Amino acid sequence: MGGETSEATLADSTAGSRGDQDGAAVRIRDLTISFPTPAGPRAAVSGVSLDLTRGKITGLVGESGSGKSTLALSLLNAVQAPGRVVSGSVEIDTIGNVLTVKGAELRRLRGGALGYVFQASQNSLNPLKQVGKQLLDLGRSHGVRDKAALLHRARLLIDEMGLDAERVLASYQHELSGGMRQRVGIVFALVLNAHVLILDEPTTALDVLSQASVLEIVKKVHREHGLTTLIISHDVGVIGDVTDRMAVMYAGRIVEDGPTPELLASPKHPYTRGLLNAMPRITGDIAKAQPLPGRPPDLSSIPREGCVFRPRCALATDECAAVEPPVTTIGVRRFACYVTAGEVR
Amino acid sequence: MIEARGITRTFAARRGLLGRGGVRALRGVDITIPDRGAVSFIGESGCGKTTLGRIMCGLDGFDDGDLVINGQSMAALKPRARAPYHRKIQMIHQDPYSALNPTRTIGQILADPLGLRARQLGASGNWLEERRSELLQLVGLDPDYVLPRYPHMLSGGMRQRAVIARALTVDPEVLVADEAVSMIDVSLRLGILQLLRELRERVGVSVLFITHDVATARYVGHGGQLYVLYRGEVIERGDTDTVIRHPAHPYTQSLLSAIPLLRGIEDPAPDRVVPKGPLDERHDAPGCLFEPRCPFAEDDCRAESPVLARLGGTEQAHACLHPASRSVVPVPAGSATTD
Repeated sequence: MGGETSEATLADSTAGSRGDQDGAAVRIRDLTISFPTPAGPRAAVSGVSLDLTRGKITGLVGESGSGKSTLALSLLNAVQAPGRVVSGSVEIDTIGNVLTVKGAELRRLRGGALGYVFQASQNSLNPLKQVGKQLLDLGRSHGVRDKAALLHRARLLIDEMGLDAERVLASYQHELSGGMRQRVGIVFALVLNAHVLILDEPTTALDVLSQASVLEIVKKVHREHGLTTLIISHDVGVIGDVTDRMAVMYAGRIVEDGPTPELLASPKHPYTRGLLNAMPRITGDIAKAQPLPGRPPDLSSIPREGCVFRPRCALATDECAAVEPPVTTIGVRRFACYVTAGEVR
Repeated sequence: MIEARGITRTFAARRGLLGRGGVRALRGVDITIPDRGAVSFIGESGCGKTTLGRIMCGLDGFDDGDLVINGQSMAALKPRARAPYHRKIQMIHQDPYSALNPTRTIGQILADPLGLRARQLGASGNWLEERRSELLQLVGLDPDYVLPRYPHMLSGGMRQRAVIARALTVDPEVLVADEAVSMIDVSLRLGILQLLRELRERVGVSVLFITHDVATARYVGHGGQLYVLYRGEVIERGDTDTVIRHPAHPYTQSLLSAIPLLRGIEDPAPDRVVPKGPLDERHDAPGCLFEPRCPFAEDDCRAESPVLARLGGTEQAHACLHPASRSVVPVPAGSATTD
């Protein structure tokens, strides 16, 4: 791999040089989503282009405020006002540009072809209704006539997750543990035959053993249902463990993406490098871990010119201050940094 | 030095729902926190690690056993007389967003306990102001910036530093950090963990670090003792690095197996231990508490309760009838990396 080095803008680089356009089930192009702030509109997601490869698990890693959840919600065309999609498209297989879909058709897609497991989905169940009743509500809102078939499919899914289907369907949410509620969230996302599954921070509130079993289940249902999966997390460990490809998000930009093992083995963007260095690890020399200076920006403190990571970057030069770095593409890797792009030439 | 001797704590359950008996959060735990030492508790939710931390701080009582703080038995004192001893043990909470009063500035938040301390020490003049700035600098904050600010104006990392500064106002001997970085942005976590390590050397406090994340326990607890708790019992203890590298108890091994693998940097461990099913707090049969979930359980595990015993001639101890060495920690990626 490697060799061919090219530069392009974020908008056209994915389509041009990756060569896997046909293998993408979801194609996000030049997406910008802005929110009003006292200082005027600010982009929470800025010029993002990202492919979700069909049949693969893609990871999106970023800190709070990096725009990763906003980006994920755009896949459902569910960016909440006052947030506004300024430009770009989200093309999904068999659906087209989801950002132009409205009304009843959009409601049919959400929870239908597009399964979404929400952040803190363990708290997104109705505490007053049994899981089985909520499942029927979901079916009703999607016009499912055959209730028995819906329940049958739910039972199969719950079995697949190693839970007792009858018990789960008859339970209120408080009778289930955090890990069980998370699995119920996945059942709800898949019960209407979704082919794209989006999981927003699926393991955040779970302890290490529940996390491991939920991640195993995600891998299993992804494989067995032939899904295209997007996992969003702040935890590089979670992303590193389960994903085939990963993208690193910072201040509304995707600063680096590529196949997960390669990206982790040789991170190109200084932010990715810093993030990996700042992780306490279970192996290796703990003295090598170094904190990343500064703090992640919020909407109002994202630098408006030049590289958004510049204020925290040890490698920053004058070049970084003026114009946002373009995306450098090397084989299957993409990253946006002037300095490390020079390293590889 | 703080010693917990055979501490038990049972929480009464609502009658009828779970039957009688309640939840046995701690079943006789022995812990020693040496001066300037580092001690970590690891275990999953419901193992009793938080309860034990709260008992040390005096935020919760214990039913049986004794807590000995600097040679003074707490069981021998009336609850009211315990306060000055417990004050030497300060807690750093998990959530720095709710641990600081939102209506008061950082300056005001620190002034209250420092005022108390000034009266105790008979200090006068501008001791309070000087000490306040000194503490803020110690935790890596700029006094001029944070003193007039309210908590909501600071980042999570800065707030957690302010919480640590507040804990230090009363000159504690032990800091109890319960999941102290789980609410902090990933890129800022290591800074807080590093601060906890540095405080051991610079201020001479001991740190009790409570977490389910073995990697952070390894970082903060380096050179100290690691205690693995399961359903209110210590099931393994020893030098932090030794226990992580050579875990003997299947439960410790399963915790280490559950750590996500950083593919590309690490290769999977040769052995993987996965518990059979989730924790069931209602299970209360004789024998080993981990037996229902243990993939290696044998017949005698159901009959006999293992006690904490030394491993060979070492300081490492475990409570398992059939301990076996397994390699469950990922290994650094051996093959050449591709680019």
